[in-house]
Amino acid sequence: MPELGRAALVVSLGLIVYALLAGAGAAATRRRRLAVSAQNALIAAFGSTLVACVVLAVALVRHDFALTYVADHTSRALPTVYTLSAFWGGQEGSLLLWLLVLTGYGVLAVWLNRKRARDLVVWVVPVIAGVATFFSLLLVAVASPFKTAPAPLDGAGLNPSLQNPYMVAHPPLLYLGYVGLTVPFAFAMGALLSGRADERWIVATRRWTLVAWTALGIGQLLGAHWAYEEVGWGGYYAWDPVENAALMPWLAATAYLHSVMIQEKRGMLKVWNVVLVSLAFCLSIFGTFLTRSGVISSIHSFTQSSIGPWFLGFICAVTTFAVGLILFRLPLLRARTRLESLVSREATFLYNNLLLVALCLTILWGVAWPILTEAVRGEARVVGRPYYDFFLRAFGLPLLLLMGIGPLIAWRRASIRGLGKTFAGPALVTAVVGVALLVLGAGSSTPGLVAYTFSAFVLATILLEFARGTRARHALSSESWPAAFSSLIARNRRRYGGYVVHAAVVLLAIGVAGSSAYQHITDRKLAPGQSLAVGGYTLTYRKLEETKRANANEIRAVLDVRRGGDSLGTIKAGKNAYSAPAGQVSNEVGIRTNYLTGEDLFVIAEQVDEDGTVYFRVFVKPLVNLIWLAGFVFVLGSLIALWPDAREERRLALRYREAGVSMTAR
Amino acid sequence: MARRRSPARLVIALSIAVVLAIFLLYTSIAGGGTPALSPSQLVGHSGKVQLGGVVVGPVTGNAREGGLRFRLRDRKGSANVAVVYTGSVPDPFRVGREIVVEGSVRGGTFVARPGSMVTKCPSKYSAASSKQH
Amino acid sequence: MTVALVLAALLAVACVVAVALPFLREPVARLDAISEPDAIGRRQLDLAERRDRALAALKELEFDHRTGKVSDEDYRSLVGPLRREAAEALRGLEPRAAVSDAGAATPAARGRPTE
Repeated sequence: MPELGRAALVVSLGLIVYALLAGAGAAATRRRRLAVSAQNALIAAFGSTLVACVVLAVALVRHDFALTYVADHTSRALPTVYTLSAFWGGQEGSLLLWLLVLTGYGVLAVWLNRKRARDLVVWVVPVIAGVATFFSLLLVAVASPFKTAPAPLDGAGLNPSLQNPYMVAHPPLLYLGYVGLTVPFAFAMGALLSGRADERWIVATRRWTLVAWTALGIGQLLGAHWAYEEVGWGGYYAWDPVENAALMPWLAATAYLHSVMIQEKRGMLKVWNVVLVSLAFCLSIFGTFLTRSGVISSIHSFTQSSIGPWFLGFICAVTTFAVGLILFRLPLLRARTRLESLVSREATFLYNNLLLVALCLTILWGVAWPILTEAVRGEARVVGRPYYDFFLRAFGLPLLLLMGIGPLIAWRRASIRGLGKTFAGPALVTAVVGVALLVLGAGSSTPGLVAYTFSAFVLATILLEFARGTRARHALSSESWPAAFSSLIARNRRRYGGYVVHAAVVLLAIGVAGSSAYQHITDRKLAPGQSLAVGGYTLTYRKLEETKRANANEIRAVLDVRRGGDSLGTIKAGKNAYSAPAGQVSNEVGIRTNYLTGEDLFVIAEQVDEDGTVYFRVFVKPLVNLIWLAGFVFVLGSLIALWPDAREERRLALRYREAGVSMTAR
Repeated sequence: MARRRSPARLVIALSIAVVLAIFLLYTSIAGGGTPALSPSQLVGHSGKVQLGGVVVGPVTGNAREGGLRFRLRDRKGSANVAVVYTGSVPDPFRVGREIVVEGSVRGGTFVARPGSMVTKCPSKYSAASSKQH
Repeated sequence: MTVALVLAALLAVACVVAVALPFLREPVARLDAISEPDAIGRRQLDLAERRDRALAALKELEFDHRTGKVSDEDYRSLVGPLRREAAEALRGLEPRAAVSDAGAATPAARGRPTE
């Protein structure tokens, strides 16, 4: 059925181009039927793209190797779940997924806002269609998933280390995030194009942004977890361009989430917000481009990639469009209110934004450096881990501190004396914790100590906020403490959901600091019976086990683990030698998690020699499991913040009714 | 007492200046990164560089004792250089795979910094390239 | 192969119909203009947003004061200007409210968001 797939994509392209042109025309000349027609075109494009997706999915499941895409990414022996996940495993399929999610989101966004923001939606449709045009064009003209060739007997299969549940979930979540950032961007551009200065575009896209941001964050955590367990080099983040590709839009989106709050509360920073949302969107396209074309190592590989120049052209077009539109509408965006004091919550949000954007841009600089130097000097230069680590600390640690300061300062203006009273408690707790940590030996790493101390400060302020809020609620309504607590959160979902998310970030910071600044590493070659000691553990290498499975030969070194005088069982680490694809070897690390302390004992059997001796590399990583725990807390906080609020809905409905926004045509 | 002119502009300008200062300070001390070269470009570079290329056999030796020895050639071309590497070897390493190592040329051989080998994933969907510490 | 072509043709036809639907339903439209807030509506929206913002800020200040984040003196110095802002925004909406929609011009509808 590849002809159906190809035809469906061509139909999609036609519909999307129509939605773009007709939509823009209808919005400019205010013609209703044409606008509805453009909207229908977008909906139909979603349907048509869905047809193409179904064709590809069916081809994958039926092992239709006549399609080169299926042959390249699956094989007969591959379990069904990985056969299906191969949909997004290659370039063409992932572009198709992008288009599906984009058109799907577009349809949803338009449908949800059809009553309240009809005059905005008429402009949102052509903007989304414009972005979709790019992907649709690529799919039809440059990177078709439906290319055919004489069918081989069996496909190439999937790299065994990618056959992992984390790798199944990681790309779709990232895509939900990347594409999700298109919707706020489209609404922002729509608001500017329609000349609207009101906040409806922000209200309409608040939850979209939160969902996209959460998806992007969780997607990255899944990727990091995969790298930690499967790739098994002992870490979870290598500052690889592909990893940075997702981090940069996430940082920009984090900044945007905060600055948007300032616009909602004070009507300030309108220009900054449209710039930031455009930056987040451009970075998400750039991120897709980086992961898909693996380009960044040098200009040579760049020009070899077939879609590289297309993406770059698209990014330039989008940037020019956004900048031009913002400049054109600059008078509309002038704020009436001003920052009243440098010591206010607005100001801390501003500092937060500056730090986040600074971090984002330094990462971008590091990623682009090889291309820039090669273009200018003819010789590419790369920056390494020390560069990224330095700036992560330089900007990240103050950010951590701000996370604790911000919630304690009031809007508009805070007096120094009032601040002194508010901060006294948390500052005291922090000082005590700091001293205790020093005593416990955390002084071995200054950044680690600072990170821990700041984390304690932020946690103290968060607990204080919950405690004070509950107490006030209890006093006000005489509810029981648990009831006061839950009604506090129910009535202030965004604030307290935000605090929970902050707590997640703190857990992440503690986990990262512990597992990097305070880890122990030992390398040793052991013969059976020999031991090594690391971080309080003693490991004794017992024997080598070999298990033959259908597709692989599994070799494991078995070690006994002891700590203090207690035996903690055994741990196994080794390698798998695969028969298909032949010659492929994968690292299988042994991880022993201490759920009480969050510490991991991480064993890599690097080299197994014929005489049975094994070269081991062993890590003890304190608190590393807080990183994965942070993911759950993160989702919890986002859910709280996202949860529909009936009171807020009523307020908004009232506002729009008074303003006559859902009026019929004049 | 609220000021007439918004302090926001001042704050933003100062903060940008501070960030730029930190950035420039760091790069002036740490240098502008290491050159990323292919074997044909190695001529004349005596300091620390990052070398990328395709592994050419035969691969001899032991990465943990005495050093793993192999040759690295340009992706497009035949210029190659002898490499000796110690440390962790990523799983995808084999003849024909593209890798990157850091180190410097000493006496005609490229001596790699221990543990600096990174392999590029061959599939188009490049998951994070497997890297050792 | 032919099945694929037939399906593709059906798809194309369905999409064309979807796109042409608004014109097929109303070959001659009485009113083809997109409904959007007129100048009065936009001003109303702007004022309503300002009012909601001021009222929300007041409510948040009360909450912060009650939880002890804002001291008594800070509260006293901040609450005055906020109340003035809110009053101004309410005043701005008042004459219009009577004109735009009879149903909405009740004190309850215009009043503070309920606690």
